[in-house]
Amino acid sequence: MAHRDPRRLSRRQFAVLGTQLAGAVVAVLLGIPIVGFLISPLFRREQVVWREVGDIARVPDAEPTKFDVSFPQQAWTQVDIKAAVYVVKRNGNTRVFSNVCSHMQCPVRWETTLGQFLCPCHGGLYDMDGTNVGGPPPKPLPQFVHRIDGTTLFVQNRFTEEI
Amino acid sequence: MVRRLGAAYNWFDERTAIRSLLRKGLYEAVPVRGAWFYTLGSATLVLILLQLITGIFLTLLYVPSVTEAWASLNYLKAHDAFGSIVRGIHLWSAYILLFVIGLHMVRTFFSGSYKRPRELNWVTGVGLFLLVLVMAITGAFLPWDQAAYWTAVVVTNVPSYTPVIGPFLRALWRGGDFVGPITLSRSFGIHVWLIPAILFPLIGAHLALLRKHGEFGSYINYRGAYRSREGVDVPPAPVQRPIEPPYPAVPTDELWAAPLETEDFYPHQTFKDGVISAALVVLVFILAVAIGAPLEAIADPSTTSYTPVPEWFFLPLDELLVLVPQQLIPLVLVLPAGGVLLLLALPFIDRGPERNPFERPAVMVPGAFAVLFVVILTLLGSGRLFNL
Repeated sequence: MAHRDPRRLSRRQFAVLGTQLAGAVVAVLLGIPIVGFLISPLFRREQVVWREVGDIARVPDAEPTKFDVSFPQQAWTQVDIKAAVYVVKRNGNTRVFSNVCSHMQCPVRWETTLGQFLCPCHGGLYDMDGTNVGGPPPKPLPQFVHRIDGTTLFVQNRFTEEI
Repeated sequence: MVRRLGAAYNWFDERTAIRSLLRKGLYEAVPVRGAWFYTLGSATLVLILLQLITGIFLTLLYVPSVTEAWASLNYLKAHDAFGSIVRGIHLWSAYILLFVIGLHMVRTFFSGSYKRPRELNWVTGVGLFLLVLVMAITGAFLPWDQAAYWTAVVVTNVPSYTPVIGPFLRALWRGGDFVGPITLSRSFGIHVWLIPAILFPLIGAHLALLRKHGEFGSYINYRGAYRSREGVDVPPAPVQRPIEPPYPAVPTDELWAAPLETEDFYPHQTFKDGVISAALVVLVFILAVAIGAPLEAIADPSTTSYTPVPEWFFLPLDELLVLVPQQLIPLVLVLPAGGVLLLLALPFIDRGPERNPFERPAVMVPGAFAVLFVVILTLLGSGRLFNL
């Protein structure tokens, strides 16, 4: 066998490297668009809209009152989706809560007999100010970004704080 | 005519070696004693194939879209009696599959079948169990009725309590901050393509390993069972059958290498497998016709009267969500993740040759407590939700 310079690639080593390189090229060219496709919704700005909830002049004091409002479903879907809005007037303040529990996002309801918001999934409780007062919820009840023109309430399809 | 068929078979065999393939597939040596317990694996496979077949046919109608999913299944319910049965079979065989796969795991755990050289049979089995769970969870989202919607909301919210990357994981599954159109598309894709594309090759690996090492059975099939009993002689080592040599594939403790008494897989084990699987399919069919698959009102995020109830297989985790206090919510992820890691590590922790469950208290007792823990969580959860 002829003397071979060990610093030079053998025919076999060249073929091994070439095979691995071919695999790497395919993996990268497929991987980049697929991973980008998977995470792209995370970077897309969701469409933020104002929606009229209604006249809240007749909402009684210290009595959470439920309204329904329609929001876009996001992505490509044209049909709106309903969301629940709890309006609470107390001591001259108006708070606008969502029915989304801060624990596992189950639908919270106002229980008149308890005088508290109750989450039926895992027994979370919030008082009239939305403070989490019992059960597993780690944060207060989310509030909608809102404005009041005269006595007409408008809300945005986003919360004042991330949940 | 018969001669012609014989000639055609020979022609086919010459090109495909079908004869030796069938022979290899059917005439494996399997342990004789306790063989009714060894039907759970084939029952699991039959139920998974039932899922595959009914699932394929359900896609001929179902539309994975937030505006159409519920409507398409409502149409099925109202206008298609046979289609409703297909959907009923899909649902009930999934429920029974989860139950049977659990029994299969308990049987394997009890009999110590996961020991050398079968560690990877167990590891692939744990993988299959987890994939089946993902199938069950994503499948539960698809009808987009109230039950499906709130299951999707709660389940996709669980990963959000992962430290640091939690909100990212939630958004990745949902395709946004909230459950919506992309959530349904993604969960549908995961359910019909992504997981099956991993699940079925993994079943192939699980079965290839089974064939490589042979069905273990349990300690009663082996000389090792006689060793510790006083006044009982250890029987002589079994004579290896010439036809198929799975025992022992790898030199291992000679007392546990090959079962004392074996018989052919076909037709002796296939008979038992067939009886159990057919009985389960009959049960599934009866449940599918008599009860069917429910469809509640269409998903409504604004509800303040609907009480979400988790799928029964999600009950232990749901009860954890109730019991874990607000400062420790990540425990809901840590406990199941720890359980999965322990399951995967089991064959590498319990490595002694002993297979008799009564001689392995160090494994059987913690295992029993783990099962008891899950059962208690399930009972607490059912008591809370159904006022039992």
